[in-house]
Amino acid sequence: MLRTLRIASVAAVLAFAAGAAALAAEPIKVGLLYNLTGGLSSLDNPALNGSKLRAAQINQAGGLLGGRKLELIILDTKTDQQETAKGAQRVLSENIAAGIGYSDTTFVMAAAPLFQAKGIPFITFGATHPMLPTWVGDNMFMTPFGDDDQSYAIADFTYDKLGARRVVVWTDNSMDFTKALSKFFIERFTERGGEIIKGDAFMMGDTDFSAQIARLQSVSPPPDAVFISAIPSEAGLTVKQIREQGLSLPIVSGDGFDTELVADVPGPKLANNVYFSTHTYRADDRKEVLDFVDAYKSAYGKAPENAFAPLGYDAVGLLAAAIEKAGSADPDKIRQAMAATRKYPAVTGEISYTRANMVPPKPVAIIGVQGGRYTLLETWHPK
Amino acid sequence: MSGYLTQQLINGLTLGSMYALVAIGFSMIYGIIRLINFAHGDIVMIGAFVTVGLVTATGLPWPLIALGVMITGALAGITIDTVAFRPLRGAPQVTGFITSLAVSVLLQNLGILLLTAQPRNFHFPEVMRQRLPVGQATLSIIDLSIVITALVLMAALVFLVKRTRLGMAMRATAENPQVARLMGININRAILAAFAIGSALAAVSGLMWGGKYGQIDPLLGFLPGLKAFVAAVIGGVGSIPGAMLGGYLLGLAEVLFVGLLPAEYSSYRDAFVFGLLIVVLLVLPNGLLGRSVEERA
Amino acid sequence: MAAPDERKRRLSRPALAGGALLAVGMLAVAVMTHSLNDYLLTLACFAGLHVMLAASLQLTNGFTGLFSLGHPGFMMVGGYLAAVFTYPVRRKSYMMPELPDFIATQQWDLPPALLLGGVGAALMALVVGFPVLRLRGHYLAVATLGFIIVVRVLINNMDGYTRGGLGLNGLPLLTNLWWVFGWTALTVFICWRIKHSSLGRAMMAIRENEMAAQCMGIRPVRTKLTAFVIGAFFAGVAGVLWTHLVTVITPGSFSIMLAFTLVAMLVIGGTGSLAGAVIAALGLSLLAEVLKPLEQTFDAYGLSQILIALGLILVLIFRPKGFFGSREPSLLTGPGTQERYETVAQTGRPSQQGRT
Repeated sequence: MLRTLRIASVAAVLAFAAGAAALAAEPIKVGLLYNLTGGLSSLDNPALNGSKLRAAQINQAGGLLGGRKLELIILDTKTDQQETAKGAQRVLSENIAAGIGYSDTTFVMAAAPLFQAKGIPFITFGATHPMLPTWVGDNMFMTPFGDDDQSYAIADFTYDKLGARRVVVWTDNSMDFTKALSKFFIERFTERGGEIIKGDAFMMGDTDFSAQIARLQSVSPPPDAVFISAIPSEAGLTVKQIREQGLSLPIVSGDGFDTELVADVPGPKLANNVYFSTHTYRADDRKEVLDFVDAYKSAYGKAPENAFAPLGYDAVGLLAAAIEKAGSADPDKIRQAMAATRKYPAVTGEISYTRANMVPPKPVAIIGVQGGRYTLLETWHPK
Repeated sequence: MSGYLTQQLINGLTLGSMYALVAIGFSMIYGIIRLINFAHGDIVMIGAFVTVGLVTATGLPWPLIALGVMITGALAGITIDTVAFRPLRGAPQVTGFITSLAVSVLLQNLGILLLTAQPRNFHFPEVMRQRLPVGQATLSIIDLSIVITALVLMAALVFLVKRTRLGMAMRATAENPQVARLMGININRAILAAFAIGSALAAVSGLMWGGKYGQIDPLLGFLPGLKAFVAAVIGGVGSIPGAMLGGYLLGLAEVLFVGLLPAEYSSYRDAFVFGLLIVVLLVLPNGLLGRSVEERA
Repeated sequence: MAAPDERKRRLSRPALAGGALLAVGMLAVAVMTHSLNDYLLTLACFAGLHVMLAASLQLTNGFTGLFSLGHPGFMMVGGYLAAVFTYPVRRKSYMMPELPDFIATQQWDLPPALLLGGVGAALMALVVGFPVLRLRGHYLAVATLGFIIVVRVLINNMDGYTRGGLGLNGLPLLTNLWWVFGWTALTVFICWRIKHSSLGRAMMAIRENEMAAQCMGIRPVRTKLTAFVIGAFFAGVAGVLWTHLVTVITPGSFSIMLAFTLVAMLVIGGTGSLAGAVIAALGLSLLAEVLKPLEQTFDAYGLSQILIALGLILVLIFRPKGFFGSREPSLLTGPGTQERYETVAQTGRPSQQGRT
């Protein structure tokens, strides 16, 4: 009985393979797992817009591999790990060529190992923990840089350009990303010879930072800068409240600050002396960036909300390039082509997987905010 | 250091005022129909978004906007009661509780669908940001207006409940609906009034929330809702003065815990607040000002 | 189980029906394990876990009339406790540097981890329940809500043992449908036996009127605590199964929303009805999944949650006591139910649990 089944299934697979060759126009399915509702929805929704935009562009230009369209299977996993486990298995059951998803490491770690087990490549558009590919395996690919790179970039900037030596560090203690960011910042800054004179903490969803600010004021002599490890929802709030209390010291952070909220929430009068490291795209005039921003505006009637919009766009583009290079939609061939990616011209900076840990050494932009305006101050290149 | 302490007290009072306004609605609605209304927090969100809508669409002066927000909030409360809760009168308490959760999920997801999940910025006029010196501390006009508005509204509410016919009808209904009905009181009107007043107060606290923190999003109501529920329970669910007291105590406790203890403990704040809550309940099982009433059937 | 022959005959109809259900369930699991893809198996596992959680929550919320929201807290305790022991030794020192050596060198299999998680959660329930169960109604609800938050904050801050907000990832995938089904069946069976035992009667007496129950010689504190602790045991076990299905655990894994969902399942099925809880848990878990494709079709994410919330409101308007109230389907209870309890009471057969 079992043997008959096995023979039948082998026959079916062969027949399917033959059929697939004949039907070149069959769409290439990609599974998208994003947290479109719940706590992380403000990060993942812009990413979905970016991803859909890139897929539409590819399909309008005639698809991949000589006419095969990209078909996105999009699931909202509600910022809930249970939904991630179900959603990952759901898209995996639909014969997908690859998966894309998530801005947060925890959710990647709930989904990616399932892809790894099935030998299907998984690309995260926004999770930045540098250990991700090591933890998951050879089917795990990162679109963004690692947290170590972005923290090192801003730590170097704080030490060299701002001349800061004594810094206070605020950490959102509820998130994987923010804790890692602080850790790498402290590591680099003290290694350079700087001093962390005080650490303070808050939690995602906090709206009132008066106590932390009061403690910041009580440090004497006053610190040279404050590093705030936060995600976009707290970025604008912290800047506004610190400035409202009359403190003007430099505020430095990572890509969690890459949002209009940093300028809008405090308003142009208070949004001053803020510096953050982020994906190279904001205030950048490379052609890829300008084209992307134009396309995004005409598709959605608004500017990209935050860095996750171009990252979502790049994740799909990166995959499409790998499929073209592999000349096939076979997951294993895609994985090999992905791993061999060199100098992919992403909106958020060139992507090459040259490091042993498979974290792309992407350039990091340092953005300064003065009078509510964002300026690209320098581009940091990792070693 | 005393300046520091004053500053913390001011911050705690401002936060407490907003908690208190939301908690009052919780308590009124509970007092009158024994319903824990979890959708109450989402009225705060509605209030915040209506404020932004009114400001951009009409540019009315702020007092009128506040009035508009309260009216919209009241209408939202009345609608929710009529559609979701009125058909459930007489059902077990937990049924109403679950219904209110369903309403809350509905409102939040509608918010995400219609308004997108992106946080939006929210601005009071520049004058409001000026800071007045209070001893060694400072107080922004926003904080001052929040505290004063909250106190005025609460005074008005106490007057309404104690001195007017409607208030009397509400108190009678809360005391014993059957008897109240026999006395010729229109119970449904009293219930609607509780929803309208409670929701108007929650909506105006949404305006304050957005104005103080400068940023709003469709999920912003959940946390204040939960905290206000806690405040109402600390004060004694069903008691309006209790809700006010609970709101201020919770606001002060939260701020002072983070403010007075070393930084390492800040991330224990919620554990502390809720741990304290459990202790308060164990010592005073009916809250601070609640009366011991056996559950009404 | 090991009842005398004479009692077995009396029980025949419900026992037969229950046995038949078990057999059908096992057959279904066997067929599913061999024919379904991983997606449907995962879905079935979560549906089963929801059944297990809803059924065990009936002990407190349904039978005893205690309004507890604490289940996610107990799942967290069970899940983390087990994860610390099942975590691959190789990566343990990196993830949890402060673990004492005797734990750091352990790598347990699922069965002992399940027991550890369950017992840990039960002990926690004993400690928490003793003071907290004196509270009534919504006061208890708030206190258990507070319990979830306290547990979460503590886990978040015990970095060296739990990796704080980062959570533990890369746990071994040990849970499969057989484990879920076995534990779910056991949970439902035990809850069923409790409901139809003198302990269950005592619980329901407390629910109806605590004062009167006390006058009848029932000890409310012990009975409530028993319900709470047994419920927590199963919640802890479910937490372990859940954790080793998702392979990730963070302080946010088991949220307040989960507590609300579980209570919603009880209310829809009927507070106090096990069959109702089982059906509602299965129905709600599957409905959410079936509605999902609509979201992409209409490009409206959040739509499925709106539809479910609307449906929930409608169901409660038309069936405020849920589908089953406090009853069970008559097929499973049998005609002689009432008489049987009387017999048990009259023969004065000492019950181990009822006289607590």
